[in-house]
Order: sequence, then structure tokens, then C-alpha cells
Amino acid sequence: MKIGAFIPELLRHLFKKPATVDYPFQKLEVPRDFRGSPFLRPELCIVCRACERDCPAEAIEITATNEAEKRFRMVIHNDRCIHCAQCVDSCPTDAMQMDTRFEISDYDRHNLKMEWEYIRAVVKPKSEPKTS
Amino acid sequence: MKFQIPIGPQHPALKEPISLRMTVEGEIIRDADLRLGYNHRGLEKLAEQKTWIQNIYLTERICGICSHSHTTCYVQGVEKLMELEPPRRGLYIRTLVAELERVHSHLLWLGVAGHEAGFDSFFMYTWRDREIVMDILETISGNRVHYGINTIGGVRRDLDEQQVKHILDSLAILRQRSEYYQHLGTNEPSFVARLAGVGYLSREDAIALCAVGPTLRASGVPMDVRKDDPYAVYAEVPFEVCTADTCDVLGRTVVRIKELFQCYNIIEYLLKNLPSGPVAVRAPRRAKPNEVVSRYEAPRGENIHYIKSNGTDKPERLKVRAPTLGNYAATLKMLKNGFIADVPLIFAAIDPCICCAERAVSLVDARSGQEKIISMNALKQLSRQVAAGNARKREAEWPL
Ligand code: SF4
Ligand code: SF4
Repeated sequence: MKIGAFIPELLRHLFKKPATVDYPFQKLEVPRDFRGSPFLRPELCIVCRACERDCPAEAIEITATNEAEKRFRMVIHNDRCIHCAQCVDSCPTDAMQMDTRFEISDYDRHNLKMEWEYIRAVVKPKSEPKTS
Repeated sequence: MKFQIPIGPQHPALKEPISLRMTVEGEIIRDADLRLGYNHRGLEKLAEQKTWIQNIYLTERICGICSHSHTTCYVQGVEKLMELEPPRRGLYIRTLVAELERVHSHLLWLGVAGHEAGFDSFFMYTWRDREIVMDILETISGNRVHYGINTIGGVRRDLDEQQVKHILDSLAILRQRSEYYQHLGTNEPSFVARLAGVGYLSREDAIALCAVGPTLRASGVPMDVRKDDPYAVYAEVPFEVCTADTCDVLGRTVVRIKELFQCYNIIEYLLKNLPSGPVAVRAPRRAKPNEVVSRYEAPRGENIHYIKSNGTDKPERLKVRAPTLGNYAATLKMLKNGFIADVPLIFAAIDPCICCAERAVSLVDARSGQEKIISMNALKQLSRQVAAGNARKREAEWPL
């Protein structure tokens, strides 16, 4: 056994670049399929409510603002969202998607809310709502 | 003179905060007592109000480090209830993530062991190298901690060629680094001397007290759910169950290092033999009334989920037995007749991460009721003093 077996490694590291990056001046790139925050593409939403039903955090809220005009409002409560992307998986038309933002903190939780008001789209679902 | 020392109960970094009450005579612990239930989250009750799908993400949050263990355990049970047969590619990816998680958990643990033994540069290097496996997990699943890769009937994301190559490349670096840590263990006498002989748990005690995981295997009992009751694709993957017979913290370290190398082999095998095809099948929303027990070998030991369905889209009952709970009785045994200064090390060795944050320990004089508060830092200082003051156990050998 030899004393100080770690010393060569320690000395080597004196001349290495640090393992961390200089955040916030330098940012790491997130991977391609990073799960950021969910967002809606209203032109594709057929209001099947699969996302609302499957969201484990109950972060999605869909209400009808005008039944006759088929006008709906969707609110995504990003302060509750756990960024699991289950809504993306459940959506039959790709209307729900994830962005790659990760710096989403705010001083007020209400600012995290995202809202869309739209008329129900008439697109053919690519598949049945996956979990029904 | 006998003292009583309570440790805990509140400790934010713990998955299961506990209160430890130790009766000490001088520096020696004569008796230890454990109280549980300080951080009851009502998770099992909550699961009864969520659908099968929603519960995947709930069980994931039982633990931050073995998140995949809990979802796999749950999902396997639900698949049995729904009589689903996940496709083989899905099972391969599920197993792959499970082994990557084991790598990250064991590297994390190695760092913690180094930290508790007063070897902080070791801690920083292992944690830096752990980032490699965290990055792999992030590219596969889109998240570093809660991978959310499981779904009922398979996995949610597929692997492409590029990712497979990336994993294999990173694996080479990880393997090289782990070999270095193994070499270091053999050659750094102070590290080995600090771990050898601490927290002794005999083979008979380990079996009688139902220890699980590396704690059990370090006492020479070759038990591993992956071998004894294979789930996912473990029946067709070649690997060995790693054991050690020193029955102490050193043995637990050795088991984990050996398991790291097994993990690398398994990951390589899985990637080289990845079958093609779909990764998931469609799951129904309801499960017929039935009940099921699902077992899983988490990095810390055997994880058990009991699930009962009643024909609706929600479970009627979900019961979770996390591995740390299985190890508590054995921990008490290990603490007995040990030193106070070894408490952080022994506790860290079952891997509940009890020592990673500042916490107060109060010493109570059993007769006068007099209390003295010492901080975790002071306790660690004490631990280091004892280690420094001891004549080095020069005969202590790295048993790998
Ligand atoms: S990402 Fe998950 S938590 Fe967030 S809105 Fe979608 S389903 Fe709900
Ligand atoms: S699942 Fe998709 S289509 Fe259905 S309501 Fe949600 S966003 Fe709209």
C-alpha cells in the first residue's frame, strides 16, 4: 500500500478546466427531446380533453367560453405542472407540445399561467386518444 | 454513565425521516431505538384518487434517486393486472434505464461514503463523473431526475442509433473512471482503514433482520431479485450477483463497486442486443378486480409494491415497501457496540443519505435530563478525529 495514492490525480486536476460551466454567462445546451413546458397549438386542438384528464398535476383546465361558437379557453397552470409530458403523449392531434425552456422561474406564480382562447379545430385525429 | 442521544427526526434530505435514540456509554453505543412516521406524505391514499396513468408520475415521486425503480415496480404490477405484455424492445429500454439509474445511484453513494470518511476530493470526482450518466439519462428521457420513461404497457420513448452510440461512448469513460476508483480504494490506506470493521452485521443477523440489497449482499448472502425472481429481461441478460464477506461498511462499498462493473456489462449487452419493434402497447383505462405484488431490485435493495384493483380506472389500494425500510432493523444492529463517531458512516452505508445536510444532535444525560446540542458538523469533526487518532488499521486490505 502506498500513502497518498490520490495525489497524482489531484495535481493533474490543477491544470484542467473546471468541470462546471460559467452559468448564467454560459449555458449548457439541452438535449433534443428535453421536457420543458407544455404549450398548445390551438389550430390543432379538437377539445377531446384527453390532456386534461390524464394530467397528473391537474395543471390543464379547459372551459367553454361560448358553446354556440364552439369557443374554448385552455389554461395551463405552469406553477402546478410537473413537466412530465403526459399531455403530449395523450393528445391525439399533436396540439400539445413541449418547448425546451428551463429558466421559467418567476416572482409570482400567476405569471406562470398560460392561456389560449380558440375555436375548436376540425382535424382528423391521427389516432384515437391514446389512453381512452 | 449512560447517555441518550436522539438524532432526527426532521431532515429535509431524507426520503424517510427518522428519529434515532441511542443510549451511549462514553463513546460506545449500547442501545439504539428508531421512530418512524415523521414525514408521512399520504402518498398511498393519494394514489387511490388518481388514475392508473396519473399514478405513474406519483409513484415516481416517492424517491428522487430511485424514481425509475418505483415506477417500474408499479407499472409491472399494473401490467399484470391488465394482462398486458409489453413489447421486448420496450422492456429492453426499461431495463437499460434501470441499470443506468443503478450506476448513478452507486456513484452518488460512493461519493457520499468518501465524504463521510473525510475524503472530500473523492466525493467531488465521483459526483463529477456521475454527471456523465445523468446526461445519458437526460438524452434518453428528457429529464435528469424524474425520467418518466415508463408507461403502462412499455416505455414512452424510443432509442435511436445516435443515442446508442452516445451511451456506449460515455460508458467507456465511466468504466475507466470506475476502474480508477477501484484502484484508489486498494491503494489509499486511510480510506480503507476508515471503512473496515465499521458497522458489523453478521450473515445470520442480516438474514434474521431481513436486510436487503447491498447491505445484505455485503454480509455474504447472494440475494438479488433480478436473479431470484427475474422481471423485465433480466432472465436473458448475463450478470453476476455481487457479494462480499467482510460484513462491514468496506464490504458494502466493495459490493457497490462490483455492481457498477456488472451494470456496465448489462448496459452494453442490452444495447448490443436491442431488438427492433414497437416500444409500447396500448393500455386499457380500467383493470379488472384483482390484486398483485410486484418486486424490483432497486439500487438500495428490494422494492415491493402491492396493488389492488376494483374494476375502475383507479387503484383501490397501493402499498409501497421501500428498501430503506427493510434495512432499518439491520441498521440498529450495526449501530450497537459501535462508536458515536461511526453513526454517519453506518447510516450512509445503507444509503438513506441521512448525513448530507446540517442537523442537530442532542446529547441527553439519562439521569439528570441535561441536554447538549451538537451540530452535524461537530459530529463529523468528531468522526474525523477518531479516524485520525486511531492507529491506522494497516492490516486492513481492500478485498477486491
Ligand atoms: S406536462 Fe404533465 S403536469 Fe404539465 S400539463 Fe402536461 S400532463 Fe400536466
Ligand atoms: S388532448 Fe390535444 S386535442 Fe385533446 S383537448 Fe388536449 S390539446 Fe386539445
